Amino acid sequence: MKHRDRVSMALNHKTPDRCPMQVSFTPEFAARLSQEMKMERGTLHNPHGGGNTYELERALDQDMLLTSVGWANSYYQDANEYVDEWGVGWKSVEYTTPYGTGHYTEFSHHPLAKDTAISSYQPPDPNRPALYKEAEWVLENFQDEYWIVGVAVTTIFEAAWALRGYEQTLIDFALNPDLIERIFDIPYHYHLTAAKKLTRMGVDMIWIGDDVGAQNAMLISPKMWRKFLKPRMANIIAELKAINPQVKVAYHSDGNIYPIIPDLIEIGLDALNPIQPASMDPARLKRDYGEHLCFWGSIDEQHTLPFGSPDDVRAEVQTRLETIGKNGGLIIGPTHHVQLDTPMENFWAMINAIKETPYPRS
Amino acid sequence: METTLQEIHEGILDGDANAVAEKVQAALDEGIAAPAILNEGMITAMAEVGRLFEDGEYFVPEMLIAARAMQSGLALLRPYLVAADVKPIGVAAIGTVKGDLHDIGKNLVVMMMEGAGFEIKDLGTDVESGTFVDAVRDGANIVGLSALLTTTMPMMGKTIQAIVDAGLRDQIKIIVGGAPVTSKFAKQIGADGFASDASQAAKLAKSLVG
Repeated sequence: MKHRDRVSMALNHKTPDRCPMQVSFTPEFAARLSQEMKMERGTLHNPHGGGNTYELERALDQDMLLTSVGWANSYYQDANEYVDEWGVGWKSVEYTTPYGTGHYTEFSHHPLAKDTAISSYQPPDPNRPALYKEAEWVLENFQDEYWIVGVAVTTIFEAAWALRGYEQTLIDFALNPDLIERIFDIPYHYHLTAAKKLTRMGVDMIWIGDDVGAQNAMLISPKMWRKFLKPRMANIIAELKAINPQVKVAYHSDGNIYPIIPDLIEIGLDALNPIQPASMDPARLKRDYGEHLCFWGSIDEQHTLPFGSPDDVRAEVQTRLETIGKNGGLIIGPTHHVQLDTPMENFWAMINAIKETPYPRS
Repeated sequence: METTLQEIHEGILDGDANAVAEKVQAALDEGIAAPAILNEGMITAMAEVGRLFEDGEYFVPEMLIAARAMQSGLALLRPYLVAADVKPIGVAAIGTVKGDLHDIGKNLVVMMMEGAGFEIKDLGTDVESGTFVDAVRDGANIVGLSALLTTTMPMMGKTIQAIVDAGLRDQIKIIVGGAPVTSKFAKQIGADGFASDASQAAKLAKSLVG
């Protein structure tokens, strides 16, 4: 079966030969994996810089290929300090695992930290043709075989907190609603333009979203999400579906966002990502929303992959196929980039279990 | 409760920093004792904030602005507390461990513990284990370790080990938290307790040393 047909069937609530799969990695895990697979490192692609290359993804038999336009591409641009094209400052922080040393890029400067900075702020231009070269190339070379996803994540809130500062943005929800609306509009218009352009180019799915969930509850109240973020998200989905009614839309938020899932369904969402199992019960999501919503992710990156055994990983894949993946509706994969602390045997246990487990027939 | 103290309490719940500062000053002017303002106006309000957070009525923005309102009042009150020789219920050294720059969870714990009556040494993020050891030598009797990432969680164990190696473990209590952290992990690394959010962290700290 073609990779793209596998994804298309799943998103239409049908069961393909096996569950479609999408996996991303940190740069350091990708380097380890390339070495293990005796592959040359190809050219990195976005989002989040991560460690993904199309060569690695295709060699693993993944089914979706991603191409990203937007602020999220600012991650991992350099191992040293840098300022991205939005004016956000970055620095690197090192960590150590049993498998070597890695680094994350984290913020060091927020250009809109001062209330007055917005009046002279110039965001980057989302219409530059160079931004869409990778998408053009991927569509031309791989769309026959693969499901192509245009990525415009960190759509509103996350890019805004990079511009403004995280704690200040959270305070602004409560104390400076007019200012934060103006700041939200900056990444919103940028990512809307990018998502529309990618849709016109013919991608199969657009991936948008913002982390509004913490581990056990939402970060902001459902009421605030409905006031500030829902109308913008609804408009993005409506504009994309007006361009191409067949295009699918996926939404990302870490953590627990149970209260707003009915809202996401209401505004026309097709797939929810990443389904952190320690935050939201995948089986419950399927029971409650599986008829109207597909899911993407669901393999635990907080416990099972880094700290479990290969048997734990295989059991989790099996459980997902029988619950959240029952009768289709699931693109399976780890909830986040596979991290450097993940034992290679756990990684292969996941990949092989996904590839070798025929879809349970009900 | 006296009216002014009630107004301080409500100002904190509303996250109204100006009102809290104004009412703390009014309470002082009325001759209400500083410890009473702290205990009956502020600490009770922050406990209520914690309850509303745990009940899902408050979220992070509401907790942040409540804490800022409390801090605006506390800044005015502090010299009077010092003059009255009011001791904190404990001295807590809190930080995000080495390799991890995430600070919102840690900051919320700092605010809620401050609001519960602790003196806080905020060690920031990406904190070396030696810095925690130094803070204990400087008088902290409780240590709070935060990590958001599975790759930095092991640093919590290493930090506890550094405190053990320095011969200071028996003098203090250690609490841990952060998205991937569990009570099982906390036990494994020899912490005294785990809390799943900032409100529970303050309660836990109080139960351990209060």
